Amino acid sequence: MIDGRSVQAQSEAETRQAPVRWRLSAHAGRLLTLAVAALALALLTHRPELAGVAAPAALLLSTLPARRPAQVSVRVRPVDSGSVEGVASALEISLAGQGDYDAELRIEPGDAIVPGPPVVVTAPAPVTAEAVLPFTAQRWGRRQIGMLAITLTDEYGLAEGGIRLGLPWIDCRPVPARLSRSILLSRLPSRLGEHPARAVGEGGEFAGVREFVPGDRQRRINWPATTRRGALHLSTFADERTQTIVVIADATADVGEAGTSSLDLVLRGATGMMTRYLANRDRVGLVMYGSRLNWVAPGQGDRHFQRLLDVLMSSPGGLDKAGGLTRLPRAALPPGALIVVFSPLLDASLIEAVRDVRERGFSVVIVDVLNSEPGDDSTKVSELTTRIWRLEQQAIRFAMMQLGVPVVHWDGQSSLDDPLGPYTGRIMVVRR
Amino acid sequence: MTASSRRAASSHRAASSHRAASSYRAGSRAAAKRRPWRTIATAAVLAVVSVGWAAMPLSGGTAGTRLVLIAAIACGAASVAQLLAGRGGKPTEAALGSLVHRTVEYVLTVVRGLPWAEATVVAVLLLEVMHRSRPWHTGLLGIALLGYLLAVHHAETRLGVGALRAQLPLIATGIGISALAVGLAEVHSLSGGVLSPAIRVIAGTAAVIAVGLVVPWWLRRQR
Repeated sequence: MIDGRSVQAQSEAETRQAPVRWRLSAHAGRLLTLAVAALALALLTHRPELAGVAAPAALLLSTLPARRPAQVSVRVRPVDSGSVEGVASALEISLAGQGDYDAELRIEPGDAIVPGPPVVVTAPAPVTAEAVLPFTAQRWGRRQIGMLAITLTDEYGLAEGGIRLGLPWIDCRPVPARLSRSILLSRLPSRLGEHPARAVGEGGEFAGVREFVPGDRQRRINWPATTRRGALHLSTFADERTQTIVVIADATADVGEAGTSSLDLVLRGATGMMTRYLANRDRVGLVMYGSRLNWVAPGQGDRHFQRLLDVLMSSPGGLDKAGGLTRLPRAALPPGALIVVFSPLLDASLIEAVRDVRERGFSVVIVDVLNSEPGDDSTKVSELTTRIWRLEQQAIRFAMMQLGVPVVHWDGQSSLDDPLGPYTGRIMVVRR
Repeated sequence: MTASSRRAASSHRAASSHRAASSYRAGSRAAAKRRPWRTIATAAVLAVVSVGWAAMPLSGGTAGTRLVLIAAIACGAASVAQLLAGRGGKPTEAALGSLVHRTVEYVLTVVRGLPWAEATVVAVLLLEVMHRSRPWHTGLLGIALLGYLLAVHHAETRLGVGALRAQLPLIATGIGISALAVGLAEVHSLSGGVLSPAIRVIAGTAAVIAVGLVVPWWLRRQR
């Protein structure tokens, strides 16, 4: 679990006094070489004209500034507290105390960070110069942006002052998978929501007509039906309920190429699913099934979404999965919830856990994110083992479907609507 | 620009720091896109001129002249290539490949990071010393070398020619002193005569006046 206080502390901008390390620039070094070499040769060869060659270079070096700032104030603040993988983000840099020096600001990137072009603050700068440095995080996760390198240069480019500062960590979210329609169960728990249920209630969707009984509200009398049948009839409406969904993200395996690996797809699919259902004002929970088991009970709202994302990208914590946990905790799975599992189906204990969940009466859908196979070195033994592996995988999926658990395959490129189309197009009947 | 006007400009810009930041960004991006082909070409031409001028006459050199000439040509070519390719940095992802790739990458990184322009300057001066040449020949070579170094600097930093304007008085003074040194050498080589002491006195006076003009100007700038 991410330490909230540390994240907050790092996201808060703080002004730091950074010491400047001064040195001669490459240009000054070249002028010095010309002057020294010419003077040395003049002395060795007794040729005064060579000393004259040194004169212009020596005079240019004489403009080396005597006053140089020993330190500058730097304030770094991420424009967004978190970013999304592949989406450009930026840092706001405030620089003070640079004096009459030009400042070039650039990011020395950390792992999976692509920096934008460097920014130059030209002298005379304002008392506090501000600049925006763009960067892009290429992969989800909690990662350091890198180092901020500031180079101060005088007017003639003779002296260079170097400053290096560590940049804050950012939480880079996985890019959510596209999902425009949601799976709706035939039986919904009796909580007020926005999905019309089969049960009659106080919703807004017309359900039918029935005969009036004493105690019914008169404003619901259906006058056309009453006139036709000669007795008082009234309209009934469908109850409006919320749906509870629990996303199980399988982090036990990470196979395939980085960027499109099974874990990448699990996180992107889970984020897309959670985003879609929370936008529908449904209750969404999460079970993170990895080396440790973490879960968040179903809930609603933006703050809950942030909590779900924190757990999705969290470091180990919670209940230790010693020897493979095959029974998920009851608190994480409220009755009547729809369970959507994102998994490459490579871990036997997870398959057992899903089987157990199904046997407890939950409606389960598995999104298979396995897009790679074991390496094939074209030998007969290798071909045979690959075939056996494929058969095993097919057997696992077949066994799941026999249990009433649909398994759909998602390649990570297309929308989640494509594989889930057969289940989002109509109401999914709950079978116990 | 005086110190007071600079302060005024700073306070004015502080009020609209956000707009100022935007303009910095725009300027930096524009600078990043441009490649100073003209300045690189100027540096290349000046390198060729310097090496060629120092090598003349080819037949009159001492032992090892050809070796130094080859070294000067190689260093000059490498410095121009460095301007085109940029200075060496950290090894790229290719360095994670095979041993050959890693070695090639390492060598390229080291070669790209060497101070080729400095080596060119030293080689050209050595080449000049190895020849018997007149002082004015050396004086002109000094101007060509200075131009080459300024062109290299401007190609690296991508500054315009306008940035040179502030340094022109200093460069002119330096060239003047160089001319005086050349004149002094020429006078020294004269075999006596009525004019020789007078010319030396004039040269010394001119040098004193030049230094007297430059030092107060430089001190004023430092303030």
